[in-house]
Amino acid sequence: MNYNDENLKNALSSEYVLGTLKGRARVRYQRLLLERSDVRQNVWHWEKHLNTLGESLEAQKPRAEVWQNIQQRLGFIEIQKKTSKPWPTFLLPGAALAATIFFAVILFWPKPEIVEVPTKQIAIVQNAKAEALWLIQIMDDKLHIRATDNVTLHADNDYELWMLAKDGRAPVSLGLLPKTGENNLDRPTLFDQIEIAALAVSLEPLGGSPNGQPTKVLFTTELMML
Amino acid sequence: MDTSQHLQLLSATAQGDRKAFSALYEATSGKLYAVSLQLLQKRDLAEEALQEAYVRIWHNASEYNEQRGSVLAWMISIVRYRALDMLRAAKVRLDYQTHESREDSDTAISASPENNLFERRDRAKIDDCMDHLEKPQSDAITLAYFRGFTHQEVCHHMSTPLGSVKSWIRRGLERLKKCLET
Repeated sequence: MNYNDENLKNALSSEYVLGTLKGRARVRYQRLLLERSDVRQNVWHWEKHLNTLGESLEAQKPRAEVWQNIQQRLGFIEIQKKTSKPWPTFLLPGAALAATIFFAVILFWPKPEIVEVPTKQIAIVQNAKAEALWLIQIMDDKLHIRATDNVTLHADNDYELWMLAKDGRAPVSLGLLPKTGENNLDRPTLFDQIEIAALAVSLEPLGGSPNGQPTKVLFTTELMML
Repeated sequence: MDTSQHLQLLSATAQGDRKAFSALYEATSGKLYAVSLQLLQKRDLAEEALQEAYVRIWHNASEYNEQRGSVLAWMISIVRYRALDMLRAAKVRLDYQTHESREDSDTAISASPENNLFERRDRAKIDDCMDHLEKPQSDAITLAYFRGFTHQEVCHHMSTPLGSVKSWIRRGLERLKKCLET
């Protein structure tokens, strides 16, 4: 598919925002959003206009518990013992079945890399020319990383990924980035316990930083959502 | 509350100001909840999507830029994508439909006036362009936007062949694009 065709790009962006682009086509387009700033801007254009429709609805007041729950989830207030059911009981058998189907799909899917896994956040590491180098998808249990063809291949060096906390602590290593292709890194528990200011990529000797600190920081990027 | 106040509150939220975030919630949650309710049609699911949206807004407040539209439109896009994800998780929809008839009236809105809020909405900025569409085109786009209907569901709802629905939506969006450019 030629995504440089403006008409095609517009058609896909508008149906992506509207929600009628679905399934594997939607996942493919989401991946393209990570890679191409022209596609992101096109999607933003449609979000900007179509979502004025949402603004036109009459406001409805949510229950007070919603704000309480948000504050609890963000750690602003202590978690109280839950009295309400988090999920309607009639959905529980369905949830078990959905889990079974999900794992069956994972097992038998011909190309596991296109299985639709919800991504909460992403980061794109770019070089000075704003070319994407690595696409980082933050999953619930791991970080999925894909290197693009723009990564400079050094035979004697590795690239290492770091998280930089807002609290000013020393950078925390997340592991080595792939120079080509894809890999997964563990999502450390700390990832959810601190506020992350940015991710950084450093150039290291083969095998990673010798002293637990970045040797030469090349790029930084912020986490963002789709 | 106007757009510049939303922007001030969001900027302060991005700096970690909880009071500003609380004020932003007060000012915007009604609209986001309305969008979520239209899509999910159940209060508990709509509230779940709303909660997740505000957690994301807190963490990603610094991601906003004016290219993404008004602060409110950006926030709506966050809750809407989350609600669409929930809607597309096929089991939720299937179970909702299967159990609709015996649902607890506390959480279902199927028979309440909140069901189709979009039928009596205010005029949106984009309506100047929506007015230029043929009626079936704007109806199909409206159903897809507010109810999260797929092509198949729009086709079922409007009792029209799938090919026509796809073409209405595609051509409607093309026409919207042209209008928005002028």
